[in-house]
Amino acid sequence: MNKYFLGFLIIAILAWYLSFLATRLDRLHGRVETSWANLDGLLQRRAAIAIEIARSDIADPASALLLTFTAHQAREASVRDRSQAESGLTGALSILLENSETISAPIELDLVRELDELTAKIKVAISMHVEAVSRTQMVRKKFLIRLFRLAGHAPAPVVYEFEGDVF
Amino acid sequence: MPLGKKRIGIVCPYGWDTPGGVQSHVGDLAEYLIAQGHHVSVLAPAINDEGLPEYVTSAGRPIAIPYNGAVARVLFGPLAFARVKQWISSGNFDLLHLHEPAIPSISLLACWAAEGPLVGTFHAASTRQKIAFAITPFIEPVIEKLTARIAVSEAARETLQIHLDTDAVVVPNGIYAKRFANAHVDDRWSGNTLGFIGRFQEPRKGLSILVHALPRIIEAVPDIKVIVAGPGNPVDVLDSMEPHLRNRFTFLGRISEEDKANFMSSVAVYVAPNTGGESFGIILAEALAGGASVLASNIPAFDSLLGHGEYGTLFTSEDSRDLAEKAIDLIQNPAKRRQLAVRGSEYAKNFDWDVVAESIYDIYEMAMVGSTGVTLSSDNRAWNKLLGRNS
Repeated sequence: MNKYFLGFLIIAILAWYLSFLATRLDRLHGRVETSWANLDGLLQRRAAIAIEIARSDIADPASALLLTFTAHQAREASVRDRSQAESGLTGALSILLENSETISAPIELDLVRELDELTAKIKVAISMHVEAVSRTQMVRKKFLIRLFRLAGHAPAPVVYEFEGDVF
Repeated sequence: MPLGKKRIGIVCPYGWDTPGGVQSHVGDLAEYLIAQGHHVSVLAPAINDEGLPEYVTSAGRPIAIPYNGAVARVLFGPLAFARVKQWISSGNFDLLHLHEPAIPSISLLACWAAEGPLVGTFHAASTRQKIAFAITPFIEPVIEKLTARIAVSEAARETLQIHLDTDAVVVPNGIYAKRFANAHVDDRWSGNTLGFIGRFQEPRKGLSILVHALPRIIEAVPDIKVIVAGPGNPVDVLDSMEPHLRNRFTFLGRISEEDKANFMSSVAVYVAPNTGGESFGIILAEALAGGASVLASNIPAFDSLLGHGEYGTLFTSEDSRDLAEKAIDLIQNPAKRRQLAVRGSEYAKNFDWDVVAESIYDIYEMAMVGSTGVTLSSDNRAWNKLLGRNS
Protein backbone atom coordinates (compact mmCIF):
# COMPACT_ATOMS: atom_id res chain seq x y z
CA MET A 1 0.00 0.00 0.00
CA ASN A 2 2.70 2.34 1.10
CA LYS A 3 4.62 1.62 -2.06
CA TYR A 4 1.70 2.70 -4.24
CA PHE A 5 1.23 5.81 -2.20
CA LEU A 6 4.86 6.75 -2.63
CA GLY A 7 4.64 6.09 -6.36
CA PHE A 8 1.55 8.26 -6.60
CA LEU A 9 3.23 11.03 -4.66
CA ILE A 10 6.26 10.99 -6.95
CA ILE A 11 4.06 11.12 -10.02
CA ALA A 12 2.03 13.97 -8.54
CA ILE A 13 5.16 15.97 -7.77
CA LEU A 14 6.56 15.31 -11.22
CA ALA A 15 3.29 16.37 -12.81
CA TRP A 16 3.26 19.56 -10.78
CA TYR A 17 6.88 20.29 -11.69
CA LEU A 18 6.23 19.67 -15.37
CA SER A 19 3.25 21.98 -15.38
CA PHE A 20 5.38 24.57 -13.56
CA LEU A 21 8.10 24.24 -16.20
CA ALA A 22 5.57 24.43 -19.03
CA THR A 23 4.03 27.62 -17.60
CA ARG A 24 7.47 29.09 -17.19
CA LEU A 25 8.40 28.32 -20.77
CA ASP A 26 5.06 29.50 -22.11
CA ARG A 27 5.50 32.82 -20.34
CA LEU A 28 8.96 33.19 -21.85
CA HIS A 29 7.68 32.44 -25.34
CA GLY A 30 5.02 35.08 -24.85
CA ARG A 31 7.64 37.54 -23.72
CA VAL A 32 9.86 36.89 -26.74
CA GLU A 33 6.88 37.69 -28.96
CA THR A 34 5.82 40.89 -27.22
CA SER A 35 9.35 42.19 -26.83
CA TRP A 36 9.94 41.54 -30.52
CA ALA A 37 6.68 43.27 -31.48
CA ASN A 38 7.74 46.25 -29.40
CA LEU A 39 11.25 46.34 -30.87
CA ASP A 40 9.93 45.87 -34.40
CA GLY A 41 7.51 48.77 -33.97
CA LEU A 42 10.25 51.07 -32.72
CA LEU A 43 12.59 50.08 -35.56
CA GLN A 44 9.85 50.71 -38.12
CA ARG A 45 9.37 54.16 -36.65
CA ARG A 46 13.09 54.78 -36.88
CA ALA A 47 13.07 53.84 -40.56
CA ALA A 48 10.14 56.21 -41.13
CA ILE A 49 12.01 59.05 -39.45
CA ALA A 50 15.10 58.22 -41.50
CA ILE A 51 13.09 58.60 -44.68
CA GLU A 52 11.73 61.90 -43.46
CA ILE A 53 15.26 63.07 -42.70
CA ALA A 54 16.31 61.98 -46.19
CA ARG A 55 13.59 64.22 -47.64
CA SER A 56 14.49 67.18 -45.45
CA ASP A 57 17.13 69.83 -46.01
CA ILE A 58 19.67 68.15 -43.75
CA ALA A 59 20.53 65.53 -46.31
CA ASP A 60 22.61 66.21 -49.40
CA PRO A 61 21.50 64.24 -52.47
CA ALA A 62 24.05 61.45 -51.97
CA SER A 63 23.23 60.80 -48.34
CA ALA A 64 19.52 61.14 -49.08
CA LEU A 65 19.88 58.34 -51.58
CA LEU A 66 21.87 56.18 -49.17
CA LEU A 67 19.45 56.86 -46.33
CA THR A 68 16.34 56.06 -48.36
CA PHE A 69 17.93 52.90 -49.64
CA THR A 70 19.03 51.63 -46.21
CA ALA A 71 15.71 52.60 -44.62
CA HIS A 72 13.74 50.61 -47.19
CA GLN A 73 16.14 47.73 -46.84
CA ALA A 74 15.62 47.72 -43.07
CA ARG A 75 11.85 47.76 -43.46
CA GLU A 76 11.72 44.93 -45.91
CA ALA A 77 14.45 42.72 -44.51
CA SER A 78 13.51 39.18 -43.53
CA VAL A 79 13.79 38.27 -39.88
CA ARG A 80 17.24 36.80 -40.28
CA ASP A 81 18.71 39.71 -42.23
CA ARG A 82 17.07 42.30 -40.05
CA SER A 83 19.98 42.91 -37.71
CA GLN A 84 22.38 43.58 -40.56
CA ALA A 85 19.93 45.84 -42.38
CA GLU A 86 19.38 47.88 -39.21
CA SER A 87 23.14 48.23 -38.83
CA GLY A 88 23.25 49.63 -42.34
CA LEU A 89 20.63 52.21 -41.45
CA THR A 90 22.47 53.14 -38.25
CA GLY A 91 25.64 53.64 -40.28
CA ALA A 92 23.90 55.85 -42.82
CA LEU A 93 22.28 57.94 -40.08
CA SER A 94 25.51 58.38 -38.18
CA ILE A 95 27.38 59.57 -41.29
CA LEU A 96 24.73 62.20 -41.84
CA LEU A 97 24.27 63.29 -38.22
CA GLU A 98 27.94 63.27 -37.29
CA ASN A 99 27.95 67.03 -37.11
CA SER A 100 24.33 67.61 -36.28
CA GLU A 101 25.11 70.73 -34.25
CA THR A 102 25.17 72.69 -37.52
CA ILE A 103 21.44 72.05 -37.97
CA SER A 104 19.39 75.09 -37.04
CA ALA A 105 15.96 74.81 -38.70
CA PRO A 106 13.32 73.91 -36.07
CA ILE A 107 11.67 71.16 -38.14
CA GLU A 108 14.96 69.39 -38.66
CA LEU A 109 15.92 69.84 -35.02
CA ASP A 110 12.64 68.19 -34.06
CA LEU A 111 13.43 65.28 -36.33
CA VAL A 112 16.88 64.83 -34.83
CA ARG A 113 15.52 65.08 -31.28
CA GLU A 114 12.83 62.51 -32.05
CA LEU A 115 15.47 60.21 -33.46
CA ASP A 116 17.58 60.60 -30.32
CA GLU A 117 14.66 59.72 -28.07
CA LEU A 118 13.78 56.78 -30.23
CA THR A 119 17.36 55.50 -30.17
CA ALA A 120 17.36 55.51 -26.38
CA LYS A 121 14.14 53.50 -26.37
CA ILE A 122 15.42 51.08 -28.97
CA LYS A 123 18.46 50.36 -26.84
CA VAL A 124 16.21 49.36 -23.95
CA ALA A 125 13.93 47.35 -26.23
CA ILE A 126 16.94 45.48 -27.62
CA SER A 127 18.23 44.56 -24.21
CA MET A 128 14.75 43.40 -23.15
CA HIS A 129 14.41 41.28 -26.26
CA VAL A 130 17.90 39.79 -26.14
CA GLU A 131 17.32 38.91 -22.50
CA ALA A 132 14.00 37.20 -23.30
CA VAL A 133 15.53 35.23 -26.17
CA SER A 134 18.57 34.02 -24.25
CA ARG A 135 16.45 33.06 -21.23
CA THR A 136 14.06 31.12 -23.45
CA GLN A 137 16.89 29.30 -25.12
CA MET A 138 18.41 28.44 -21.77
CA VAL A 139 15.17 27.02 -20.43
CA ARG A 140 14.44 25.13 -23.65
CA LYS A 141 17.75 23.33 -23.27
CA LYS A 142 16.70 21.83 -19.93
CA PHE A 143 16.63 18.05 -19.98
CA LEU A 144 13.06 17.59 -18.73
CA ILE A 145 11.73 20.17 -21.16
CA ARG A 146 13.32 18.38 -24.08
CA LEU A 147 12.32 14.94 -22.83
CA PHE A 148 8.64 15.84 -22.50
CA ARG A 149 8.69 18.22 -25.48
CA LEU A 150 7.24 20.98 -23.35
CA ALA A 151 8.16 23.57 -25.96
CA GLY A 152 5.52 22.03 -28.22
CA HIS A 153 5.34 23.63 -31.63
CA ALA A 154 6.54 27.05 -30.52
CA PRO A 155 9.33 28.10 -32.87
CA ALA A 156 12.77 28.46 -31.34
CA PRO A 157 13.54 32.15 -30.90
CA VAL A 158 16.09 33.64 -33.27
CA VAL A 159 19.18 35.25 -31.83
CA TYR A 160 19.87 38.72 -33.11
CA GLU A 161 23.18 40.47 -32.91
CA PHE A 162 21.49 43.75 -32.25
CA GLU A 163 23.79 44.73 -29.40
CA GLY A 164 26.08 46.99 -31.37
CA ASP A 165 23.60 47.93 -34.05
CA VAL A 166 22.10 51.03 -32.65
CA PHE A 167 24.14 53.77 -31.11
CA MET B 1 -8.92 56.23 -16.86
CA PRO B 2 -7.73 58.93 -19.24
CA LEU B 3 -5.47 57.84 -22.04
CA GLY B 4 -1.86 57.39 -20.99
CA LYS B 5 -2.60 57.52 -17.27
CA LYS B 6 -1.74 54.22 -15.68
CA ARG B 7 -2.31 52.38 -12.45
CA ILE B 8 1.12 51.52 -11.11
CA GLY B 9 1.93 49.39 -8.09
CA ILE B 10 5.36 49.76 -6.49
CA VAL B 11 6.69 47.30 -3.93
CA CYS B 12 9.35 48.40 -1.46
CA PRO B 13 11.02 45.50 0.37
CA TYR B 14 12.33 47.44 3.38
CA GLY B 15 10.49 48.94 6.33
CA TRP B 16 9.02 52.29 5.35
CA ASP B 17 9.64 53.91 8.74
CA THR B 18 13.39 53.35 8.67
CA PRO B 19 15.28 55.79 6.47
CA GLY B 20 17.22 54.26 3.60
CA GLY B 21 18.19 54.71 -0.01
CA VAL B 22 15.62 52.32 -1.47
CA GLN B 23 12.77 53.76 0.59
CA SER B 24 13.48 57.35 -0.38
CA HIS B 25 13.92 56.34 -4.01
CA VAL B 26 10.52 54.62 -4.00
CA GLY B 27 8.89 57.57 -2.24
CA ASP B 28 10.32 60.13 -4.67
CA LEU B 29 9.40 58.02 -7.68
CA ALA B 30 5.84 57.51 -6.42
CA GLU B 31 5.39 61.23 -5.78
CA TYR B 32 6.78 62.11 -9.19
CA LEU B 33 4.45 59.67 -10.96
CA ILE B 34 1.45 60.92 -8.96
CA ALA B 35 2.32 64.47 -9.97
CA GLN B 36 2.24 63.27 -13.58
CA GLY B 37 -1.34 62.13 -13.05
CA HIS B 38 -0.81 58.40 -12.65
CA HIS B 39 -2.44 56.35 -9.95
CA VAL B 40 0.30 54.94 -7.73
CA SER B 41 0.10 52.57 -4.78
CA VAL B 42 3.17 51.55 -2.78
CA LEU B 43 3.23 48.36 -0.74
CA ALA B 44 5.83 48.36 2.02
CA PRO B 45 6.39 46.85 5.44
CA ALA B 46 5.82 49.36 8.23
CA ILE B 47 6.18 49.28 11.99
CA ASN B 48 3.55 51.91 12.51
CA ASP B 49 0.57 52.25 10.17
CA GLU B 50 -0.13 55.79 11.27
CA GLY B 51 1.67 58.63 9.60
CA LEU B 52 2.22 56.77 6.36
CA PRO B 53 1.74 58.81 3.20
CA GLU B 54 -1.64 58.27 1.55
CA TYR B 55 -0.17 56.24 -1.29
CA VAL B 56 1.54 53.67 0.99
CA THR B 57 -0.18 50.46 2.03
CA SER B 58 1.36 48.59 4.93
CA ALA B 59 2.12 44.91 4.43
CA GLY B 60 2.79 44.29 8.12
CA ARG B 61 5.59 44.68 10.63
CA PRO B 62 9.09 44.13 9.22
CA ILE B 63 11.55 41.67 10.71
CA ALA B 64 15.08 42.93 11.37
CA ILE B 65 17.82 40.71 9.97
CA PRO B 66 21.52 41.53 9.64
CA TYR B 67 22.28 41.82 5.98
CA ASN B 68 25.11 43.22 3.87
CA GLY B 69 26.81 44.97 6.78
CA ALA B 70 23.66 46.62 8.05
CA VAL B 71 20.34 45.67 9.54
CA ALA B 72 17.70 45.12 6.89
CA ARG B 73 14.05 45.35 7.85
CA VAL B 74 12.31 42.90 5.57
CA LEU B 75 9.04 40.97 5.62
CA PHE B 76 7.98 37.52 4.50
CA GLY B 77 5.81 34.62 5.62
CA PRO B 78 2.31 33.34 4.86
CA LEU B 79 0.49 36.35 6.28
CA ALA B 80 2.62 38.77 4.28
CA PHE B 81 2.09 36.64 1.18
CA ALA B 82 -1.67 36.79 1.65
CA ARG B 83 -1.52 40.57 2.02
CA VAL B 84 0.61 40.89 -1.11
CA LYS B 85 -1.86 38.82 -3.11
CA GLN B 86 -4.78 40.79 -1.77
CA TRP B 87 -3.06 44.07 -2.68
CA ILE B 88 -2.36 42.83 -6.21
CA SER B 89 -5.87 41.55 -6.87
CA SER B 90 -7.62 44.61 -5.48
CA GLY B 91 -5.23 47.12 -7.04
CA ASN B 92 -6.15 46.46 -10.66
CA PHE B 93 -2.68 47.51 -11.74
CA ASP B 94 -1.41 48.03 -15.25
CA LEU B 95 2.14 47.40 -14.08
CA LEU B 96 4.07 46.39 -11.00
CA HIS B 97 7.45 47.87 -10.19
CA LEU B 98 9.33 45.62 -7.75
CA HIS B 99 12.38 46.89 -5.90
CA GLU B 100 15.11 44.44 -4.94
CA PRO B 101 13.15 41.35 -6.00
CA ALA B 102 16.14 39.10 -5.26
CA ILE B 103 15.99 39.84 -1.55
CA PRO B 104 13.74 37.68 0.65
CA SER B 105 11.03 40.24 1.22
CA ILE B 106 7.65 41.24 -0.18
CA SER B 107 9.03 42.19 -3.63
CA LEU B 108 9.99 38.58 -4.17
CA LEU B 109 6.58 37.45 -2.96
CA ALA B 110 4.86 39.89 -5.31
CA CYS B 111 6.99 38.67 -8.20
CA TRP B 112 5.98 35.12 -7.37
CA ALA B 113 2.28 35.93 -7.11
CA ALA B 114 1.82 38.29 -10.04
CA GLU B 115 1.47 37.72 -13.74
CA GLY B 116 1.76 40.48 -16.35
CA PRO B 117 4.06 43.45 -16.87
CA LEU B 118 6.61 43.39 -14.06
CA VAL B 119 9.59 45.71 -13.83
CA GLY B 120 12.33 44.99 -11.31
CA THR B 121 14.91 47.43 -9.98
CA PHE B 122 18.10 46.08 -8.44
CA HIS B 123 19.84 48.39 -6.02
CA ALA B 124 22.37 46.21 -4.21
CA ALA B 125 25.91 45.90 -5.44
CA SER B 126 28.22 43.64 -3.56
CA THR B 127 30.37 40.68 -4.28
CA ARG B 128 29.95 39.45 -0.73
CA GLN B 129 26.35 38.41 -1.10
CA LYS B 130 27.31 34.81 -1.70
CA ILE B 131 24.94 33.49 0.97
CA ALA B 132 22.00 35.51 -0.17
CA PHE B 133 22.51 34.35 -3.69
CA ALA B 134 23.00 30.71 -2.72
CA ILE B 135 19.26 30.41 -3.14
CA THR B 136 19.68 31.37 -6.81
CA PRO B 137 18.07 28.15 -8.19
CA PHE B 138 14.87 29.09 -6.38
CA ILE B 139 15.01 32.73 -7.27
CA GLU B 140 15.86 32.29 -10.93
CA PRO B 141 12.40 31.21 -12.19
CA VAL B 142 10.89 34.07 -10.20
CA ILE B 143 13.29 36.75 -11.41
CA GLU B 144 12.72 35.42 -14.91
CA LYS B 145 9.13 36.68 -14.76
CA LEU B 146 10.32 40.28 -14.79
CA THR B 147 9.54 41.85 -18.14
CA ALA B 148 12.27 44.44 -17.72
CA ARG B 149 15.14 44.84 -15.31
CA ILE B 150 16.69 48.06 -14.12
CA ALA B 151 20.00 48.37 -12.26
CA VAL B 152 20.73 51.62 -10.47
CA SER B 153 24.42 51.57 -11.29
CA GLU B 154 27.03 49.73 -13.32
CA ALA B 155 28.09 48.04 -10.07
CA ALA B 156 24.57 46.75 -9.45
CA ARG B 157 24.36 45.56 -13.04
CA GLU B 158 27.59 43.62 -12.66
CA THR B 159 26.36 42.00 -9.46
CA LEU B 160 23.27 40.93 -11.33
CA GLN B 161 25.29 39.51 -14.20
CA ILE B 162 27.53 37.53 -11.89
CA HIS B 163 24.94 36.19 -9.46
CA LEU B 164 21.81 35.82 -11.51
CA ASP B 165 23.23 35.63 -15.01
CA THR B 166 20.90 38.27 -16.36
CA ASP B 167 21.36 41.71 -17.83
CA ALA B 168 19.71 44.99 -16.92
CA VAL B 169 19.29 48.53 -18.19
CA VAL B 170 21.10 51.08 -16.04
CA VAL B 171 18.93 53.94 -14.81
CA PRO B 172 20.50 55.96 -11.99
CA ASN B 173 18.74 56.98 -8.79
CA GLY B 174 17.07 60.36 -8.90
CA ILE B 175 17.56 63.56 -6.94
CA TYR B 176 15.65 66.83 -6.95
CA ALA B 177 18.43 68.87 -8.51
CA LYS B 178 16.38 72.08 -8.35
CA ARG B 179 16.22 71.90 -4.57
CA PHE B 180 20.00 71.92 -4.49
CA ALA B 181 20.42 74.62 -7.10
CA ASN B 182 18.66 77.13 -4.82
CA ALA B 183 20.88 76.43 -1.81
CA HIS B 184 22.89 79.21 -0.17
CA VAL B 185 26.13 79.23 1.81
CA ASP B 186 25.59 78.94 5.57
CA ASP B 187 28.34 80.65 7.62
CA ARG B 188 28.14 78.04 10.36
CA TRP B 189 29.46 75.40 8.01
CA SER B 190 31.71 77.32 5.62
CA GLY B 191 35.44 77.91 5.94
CA ASN B 192 37.97 75.11 6.14
CA THR B 193 35.43 72.41 6.80
CA LEU B 194 35.03 68.77 5.91
CA GLY B 195 31.44 67.55 5.61
CA PHE B 196 30.12 64.08 6.27
CA ILE B 197 26.51 62.86 6.06
CA GLY B 198 25.30 59.40 7.04
CA ARG B 199 24.67 56.94 9.83
CA PHE B 200 28.15 57.55 11.20
CA GLN B 201 28.09 54.67 13.68
CA GLU B 202 27.95 52.08 10.91
CA PRO B 203 31.54 50.94 10.20
CA ARG B 204 30.95 50.75 6.44
CA LYS B 205 30.23 54.49 6.33
CA GLY B 206 33.90 54.92 7.20
CA LEU B 207 33.89 57.83 9.65
CA SER B 208 36.74 56.18 11.57
CA ILE B 209 38.96 56.45 8.49
CA LEU B 210 38.35 60.18 8.45
CA VAL B 211 39.11 60.34 12.18
CA HIS B 212 42.44 58.56 11.61
CA ALA B 213 43.33 60.95 8.81
CA LEU B 214 42.57 64.02 10.88
CA PRO B 215 45.88 64.47 12.79
CA ARG B 216 47.73 64.61 9.48
CA ILE B 217 45.27 67.12 8.06
CA ILE B 218 45.56 69.30 11.18
CA GLU B 219 49.33 69.59 10.64
CA ALA B 220 48.75 71.17 7.24
CA VAL B 221 45.50 73.00 7.92
CA PRO B 222 45.42 74.02 11.62
CA ASP B 223 41.86 75.39 11.59
CA ILE B 224 40.19 72.37 10.01
CA LYS B 225 36.71 71.43 11.27
CA VAL B 226 34.64 68.33 10.63
CA ILE B 227 30.85 68.64 10.45
CA VAL B 228 28.87 65.43 10.70
CA ALA B 229 25.18 65.14 9.93
CA GLY B 230 23.02 62.06 10.25
CA PRO B 231 21.28 59.95 12.87
CA GLY B 232 23.31 58.32 15.62
CA ASN B 233 24.78 58.88 19.06
CA PRO B 234 27.89 61.11 18.85
CA VAL B 235 29.01 60.30 22.42
CA ASP B 236 30.19 56.81 21.45
CA VAL B 237 32.19 58.18 18.55
CA LEU B 238 33.69 61.04 20.54
CA ASP B 239 34.69 58.70 23.39
CA SER B 240 36.61 56.46 21.04
CA MET B 241 38.84 59.22 19.65
CA GLU B 242 41.79 61.06 21.14
CA PRO B 243 40.82 64.07 23.30
CA HIS B 244 42.53 66.73 21.20
CA LEU B 245 40.50 65.73 18.17
CA ARG B 246 37.11 66.02 19.90
CA ASN B 247 36.72 69.77 19.61
CA ARG B 248 37.19 69.54 15.85
CA PHE B 249 33.87 67.75 15.47
CA THR B 250 30.39 69.19 15.26
CA PHE B 251 27.47 66.77 15.21
CA LEU B 252 24.26 68.13 13.74
CA GLY B 253 22.06 65.05 14.06
CA ARG B 254 19.54 64.47 11.32
CA ILE B 255 19.05 67.55 9.11
CA SER B 256 16.23 68.64 6.82
CA GLU B 257 16.42 68.40 3.04
CA GLU B 258 16.79 72.16 2.83
CA ASP B 259 19.62 72.18 5.35
CA LYS B 260 21.25 69.34 3.47
CA ALA B 261 21.34 71.46 0.32
CA ASN B 262 22.85 74.40 2.24
CA PHE B 263 25.31 72.04 3.92
CA MET B 264 26.55 70.84 0.53
CA SER B 265 26.99 74.39 -0.72
CA SER B 266 28.83 75.47 2.42
CA VAL B 267 31.43 72.85 3.29
CA ALA B 268 34.84 73.14 1.67
CA VAL B 269 35.04 69.43 0.89
CA TYR B 270 32.39 66.75 1.18
CA VAL B 271 34.05 63.50 2.31
CA ALA B 272 32.59 60.04 1.65
CA PRO B 273 34.99 57.49 3.14
CA ASN B 274 32.58 54.53 2.75
CA THR B 275 34.31 51.18 2.69
CA GLY B 276 31.72 49.30 0.64
CA GLY B 277 28.18 48.05 0.55
CA GLU B 278 27.24 51.13 -1.40
CA SER B 279 25.52 50.58 -4.70
CA PHE B 280 24.92 54.02 -6.08
CA GLY B 281 25.93 56.76 -3.71
CA ILE B 282 22.94 59.08 -4.02
CA ILE B 283 24.55 61.34 -1.42
CA LEU B 284 27.42 62.07 -3.82
CA ALA B 285 24.97 63.02 -6.56
CA GLU B 286 23.34 65.37 -4.06
CA ALA B 287 26.71 66.77 -3.00
CA LEU B 288 27.56 67.49 -6.64
CA ALA B 289 24.16 69.07 -7.24
CA GLY B 290 24.71 71.28 -4.20
CA GLY B 291 28.02 72.45 -5.60
CA ALA B 292 30.33 70.71 -3.14
CA SER B 293 33.72 69.43 -4.17
CA VAL B 294 33.71 65.76 -3.35
CA LEU B 295 36.40 63.51 -1.93
CA ALA B 296 35.31 59.87 -1.96
CA SER B 297 36.78 56.42 -1.50
CA ASN B 298 37.41 54.56 -4.74
CA ILE B 299 34.82 51.81 -4.18
CA PRO B 300 33.23 50.78 -7.52
CA ALA B 301 29.96 52.68 -7.04
CA PHE B 302 31.69 55.97 -6.23
CA ASP B 303 34.33 55.48 -8.90
CA SER B 304 31.70 55.12 -11.59
CA LEU B 305 29.44 57.87 -10.23
CA LEU B 306 32.33 60.35 -10.14
CA GLY B 307 33.34 59.45 -13.69
CA HIS B 308 36.59 57.84 -12.48
CA GLY B 309 37.66 61.07 -10.84
CA GLU B 310 36.44 63.59 -13.35
CA TYR B 311 33.74 65.08 -11.12
CA GLY B 312 35.33 64.51 -7.75
CA THR B 313 38.55 63.33 -6.15
CA LEU B 314 39.01 59.67 -5.27
CA PHE B 315 41.27 58.20 -2.59
CA THR B 316 42.23 54.58 -1.99
CA SER B 317 39.48 53.04 0.09
CA GLU B 318 40.33 52.43 3.78
CA ASP B 319 43.64 54.32 3.42
CA SER B 320 43.53 57.27 5.83
CA ARG B 321 46.97 58.50 4.72
CA ASP B 322 45.76 58.86 1.15
CA LEU B 323 42.56 60.51 2.36
CA ALA B 324 44.61 63.06 4.32
CA GLU B 325 46.86 63.90 1.37
CA LYS B 326 43.97 64.37 -1.05
CA ALA B 327 41.99 66.41 1.48
CA ILE B 328 44.93 68.74 2.16
CA ASP B 329 45.48 69.20 -1.54
CA LEU B 330 41.84 70.14 -2.09
CA ILE B 331 41.61 72.52 0.85
CA GLN B 332 44.77 74.38 -0.08
CA ASN B 333 43.66 74.66 -3.67
CA PRO B 334 40.40 76.66 -3.94
CA ALA B 335 40.69 77.05 -7.72
CA LYS B 336 40.73 73.29 -8.18
CA ARG B 337 37.78 72.93 -5.83
CA ARG B 338 35.74 75.48 -7.72
CA GLN B 339 36.53 73.82 -11.02
CA LEU B 340 35.42 70.42 -9.70
CA ALA B 341 32.26 71.91 -8.24
CA VAL B 342 31.26 73.61 -11.48
CA ARG B 343 31.82 70.48 -13.54
CA GLY B 344 30.07 68.39 -10.90
CA SER B 345 26.91 70.44 -10.62
CA GLU B 346 26.51 70.41 -14.39
CA TYR B 347 26.95 66.63 -14.41
CA ALA B 348 24.48 66.19 -11.53
CA LYS B 349 21.65 67.36 -13.79
CA ASN B 350 21.70 63.85 -15.27
CA PHE B 351 20.35 62.57 -11.96
CA ASP B 352 17.43 64.96 -11.80
CA TRP B 353 14.06 63.26 -11.36
CA ASP B 354 12.80 64.85 -14.58
CA VAL B 355 15.40 62.86 -16.51
CA VAL B 356 15.42 59.70 -14.39
CA ALA B 357 11.64 59.25 -14.07
CA GLU B 358 11.28 59.77 -17.81
CA SER B 359 13.69 56.89 -18.49
CA ILE B 360 11.87 54.70 -15.98
CA TYR B 361 8.52 55.52 -17.54
CA ASP B 362 9.87 54.67 -21.00
CA ILE B 363 10.70 51.23 -19.65
CA TYR B 364 7.22 50.94 -18.12
CA GLU B 365 5.68 51.69 -21.49
CA MET B 366 7.74 49.02 -23.20
CA ALA B 367 6.91 46.48 -20.54
CA MET B 368 3.21 47.19 -20.94
CA VAL B 369 3.15 46.60 -24.69
CA GLY B 370 0.38 44.17 -25.58
CA SER B 371 -0.66 43.48 -22.01
CA THR B 372 -4.01 43.74 -20.31
CA GLY B 373 -2.69 44.36 -16.84
CA VAL B 374 -1.43 42.56 -13.78
CA THR B 375 -3.27 39.50 -12.50
CA LEU B 376 -2.58 36.90 -9.86
CA SER B 377 -0.88 33.88 -11.35
CA SER B 378 -3.05 31.60 -9.18
CA ASP B 379 -6.14 32.90 -10.99
CA ASN B 380 -4.74 31.70 -14.28
CA ARG B 381 -4.15 28.14 -13.21
CA ALA B 382 -6.17 25.65 -15.20
CA TRP B 383 -7.59 23.76 -12.22
CA ASN B 384 -8.76 26.93 -10.53
CA LYS B 385 -10.59 27.92 -13.69
CA LEU B 386 -12.14 24.45 -13.93
CA LEU B 387 -13.33 24.62 -10.37
CA GLY B 388 -14.67 28.11 -10.96
CA ARG B 389 -12.47 29.42 -8.17
CA ASN B 390 -11.76 33.05 -8.76
CA SER B 391 -10.66 34.78 -5.65
